[in-house]
Amino acid sequence: MLLGSATSVALDVSERLRGWLPFAQRRRAWLAALFLILFPLVAPFKALATMILIYGLYALGFNILFGYLGLLSFGHSALFGTGAYFCGIAIAHFGLPWWAALSLGVLGGVLAAAAIGVLAIRTLGIYFAMVTLALSQCLYYLFYQATDWTGGENGLTGVNVKTINLFGFGLDFVNPLVHYYVIAAFVIVALFALSRILASPFGAVIEGVRESEARARASGIDVVRVRFVTFVVSGAFCGLAGALLALHLSIVPIETMHYDTSGLAVMMCLLGGMGTFFGPFVGAAIFLLLENLVSLYTVHWQLIVGAAFIACVLFFPRGVWGTILQRSRT
Amino acid sequence: MAGLTLQLLGLQLFTGVALGALYVLLAIGLSLIFGMLTVVNFAHGAFYMLGAYVGLWLLMHGVNFWTALILVPLAVGALGLLVERTLIRPLYGRGLDYPLLLTFGLSYVIVELVRVAFGNTGYPVDTPDALQGAVDIGVGYFPLYRLFVIAASVVVLVGLWLFLERTSFGLIVRAGARDPQIVRILGVNVARVWLIVFGIGTGLAGLAGLLAAPLQGVIPEMGGPILAEAFVVTVVGGMGSLLGAVVAGLLVGVVVSMTSLFAPEMSRVAIFALMAIVLLLRPQGFFGRAGLMS
Amino acid sequence: MSGEIILRTHNVSKRFGRLNALNGVSAEFRRNVITSIIGPNGAGKSTYFNLLCGALRPSSGTIEFEGRDVTGLPQHRFAHMGIVKSFQITTLFPQLSAHENVRLAAQVRVTIFDMWRPRASLKMLSEQADFILERVGLGHRRDRPAALLAHGEQRALEIAVALASEPKLLLLDEPTAGMSPQETREMMDLIVRLAAERTIILVEHKMKLVLGISDRLIVLHHGELLAEGAPDEIKRNELVKRVYLGQRDH
Repeated sequence: MLLGSATSVALDVSERLRGWLPFAQRRRAWLAALFLILFPLVAPFKALATMILIYGLYALGFNILFGYLGLLSFGHSALFGTGAYFCGIAIAHFGLPWWAALSLGVLGGVLAAAAIGVLAIRTLGIYFAMVTLALSQCLYYLFYQATDWTGGENGLTGVNVKTINLFGFGLDFVNPLVHYYVIAAFVIVALFALSRILASPFGAVIEGVRESEARARASGIDVVRVRFVTFVVSGAFCGLAGALLALHLSIVPIETMHYDTSGLAVMMCLLGGMGTFFGPFVGAAIFLLLENLVSLYTVHWQLIVGAAFIACVLFFPRGVWGTILQRSRT
Repeated sequence: MAGLTLQLLGLQLFTGVALGALYVLLAIGLSLIFGMLTVVNFAHGAFYMLGAYVGLWLLMHGVNFWTALILVPLAVGALGLLVERTLIRPLYGRGLDYPLLLTFGLSYVIVELVRVAFGNTGYPVDTPDALQGAVDIGVGYFPLYRLFVIAASVVVLVGLWLFLERTSFGLIVRAGARDPQIVRILGVNVARVWLIVFGIGTGLAGLAGLLAAPLQGVIPEMGGPILAEAFVVTVVGGMGSLLGAVVAGLLVGVVVSMTSLFAPEMSRVAIFALMAIVLLLRPQGFFGRAGLMS
Repeated sequence: MSGEIILRTHNVSKRFGRLNALNGVSAEFRRNVITSIIGPNGAGKSTYFNLLCGALRPSSGTIEFEGRDVTGLPQHRFAHMGIVKSFQITTLFPQLSAHENVRLAAQVRVTIFDMWRPRASLKMLSEQADFILERVGLGHRRDRPAALLAHGEQRALEIAVALASEPKLLLLDEPTAGMSPQETREMMDLIVRLAAERTIILVEHKMKLVLGISDRLIVLHHGELLAEGAPDEIKRNELVKRVYLGQRDH
């Protein structure tokens, strides 16, 4: 019965979307920006809203590789975590300004992706998931043991940014609303960048490689190189998300590098809708809302999420947003 | 001084072989499942953990260890049969990623169910009385239980080899792994073969979990790191190769135990270095090929 | 320009494990000439074909293109040099439109890694794609996803995609596979028109078609070169006749 009314709501939304869809697709980054700007005014908890932003961006980075290119990686926690740690270390150990730390975070994601990519990209498709899991686990251990730099088991503390100095204006980062909007600003920039990339010639190449590697190769596309570059681009987005996480939490927990966090990206992307622009954010929202909601009743919320994920794999492989999109096209 | 070090090396080598034996059991299960079903079982670590907990439960209820050795793989294998039939079968033909994703989600469910039943904290598991103590193996005294783990794995391997080489079912498994189309055309019920192979693979994982329990205790998270390690073994050995699973499993076990002797901080990371080297030099693994039984 | 050698294989062999698919095949292909590779099933035609376009690497022997040794280069490099193949089993970008299939192939020659420019701004690629689609008779199917085209249309799209890569050497693997007689005629006419500007290598096992349009024939049998020459010579060749005895579509 619950499923029935949920389906009818989804169909209802699809109906309304049908007319708006072409318009929405062309202006997707603007729409997303608008939504994100209005979001905290309607969302009950600002902290949750910010988490949705950050994890949504993380899932977005993952989606570039999985949803658009079609490569399933289980090592994205390494990209996310390295970004978080690079940013955190820049602030906590070196006292660098926030913009330098964020840039280093992006760089961290890029470097981690390059390192893992060099080894993983050459493998046959089926190995990729396994190798990325193993390599990110390796990075987890390395970061865990580098206690002097990372704080080891207890995480990196002291990532404290009180004010964001922007062209002379000092923004009070401690204020939750300001906090949200600063982070949202970066996420919005990232969304515009992604939209740009997807609409670029490279975006077309990614689609082609996903559709048929054999055809791509025969037409002159170096598939291995495309995979590597896409992985690195994905790393940039995930690194930024990680850096924002460090800023948001003021600490970097070691769990950020754990393979469970890799699993998070996979779950959010699938739940929301892989290969769609908004899907990752929808997925992040669903996941985090579920987690918050279910853990009010039981500590075993992972059971519910796991079951929901299995249901999605079996019945809604396009995820919530993807299914809505599909229904509204037919 | 030198004699002491040699003895120490020898003992550490045997420890590595004992650890390797567990890796072999896990990797063979993974390889069988992949070779036949083309499914990368991301729940393999969870089944391993389940085997340990089922064993714990049986032991807590007065079942002796030897009976548990038989019951645990059967129980876990039975669950594997159920999972294949109800959850994985609907996904065939949808692309390689979907069964993988499903098993991944399943691992969360299995781990959480175990947490529901047994709580979050770990339990130690006593070594069975008959297998306590140490035995002089020439280079020194080596725990009897670890010898048993090696011996049990050998027995299982031999049994598996006989099954695959000497029975008609085994022949179908080998043929199906090489060319699933032909097997189907010949009228063999491929679905049933896949079902049973999945059961065997998960049963092996469960057995490995039970064998590991007295060595490291049980804890709901124990499946996670072992999954990564099992993946390293299959990448090094070559996915789908039984021989590769054996060779790589032993190699990885020895690498772990030797590094923990010389550079303990690097012992967990050393195997990834090994995997990296293999990926750079021979990405398909030592014995890597699409078919099983190479 | 016609008559000079554009592609040459020296003693090329290909082994798959213990299977010797191709054994020491040496042949030359001349510019602006239609050469067909024929032979009974299992002769090694597909293997040889895939060696010529770089999809496979020879186990031994060398391949020369325009005088350069290209043995062992990856397939995408072959495509960039101007050696372009079409597939026997239709291989397109299924969910992309016919237009996009061709546009992407054309785009690859201009840019792959540009992440900044909107691809819509590369108008000449779009125009080029439409032009090629018209040439192969698919102009009216421009916006249809490739997977939804009729079989004959898909084969034509294969050619269009290959053309978008501006091939000097066009390799066609059984282009009329699965086509009706009408479609086959149209395809053959298209191939003859294309041959005016570029070199074509065909693999076909429908002998009648091949004898009609080829300038040269290369006959493979059991992985070896059995005979080569003009269609008339090959038709009279005793060895070839014996090998094809029992083949129904002469």
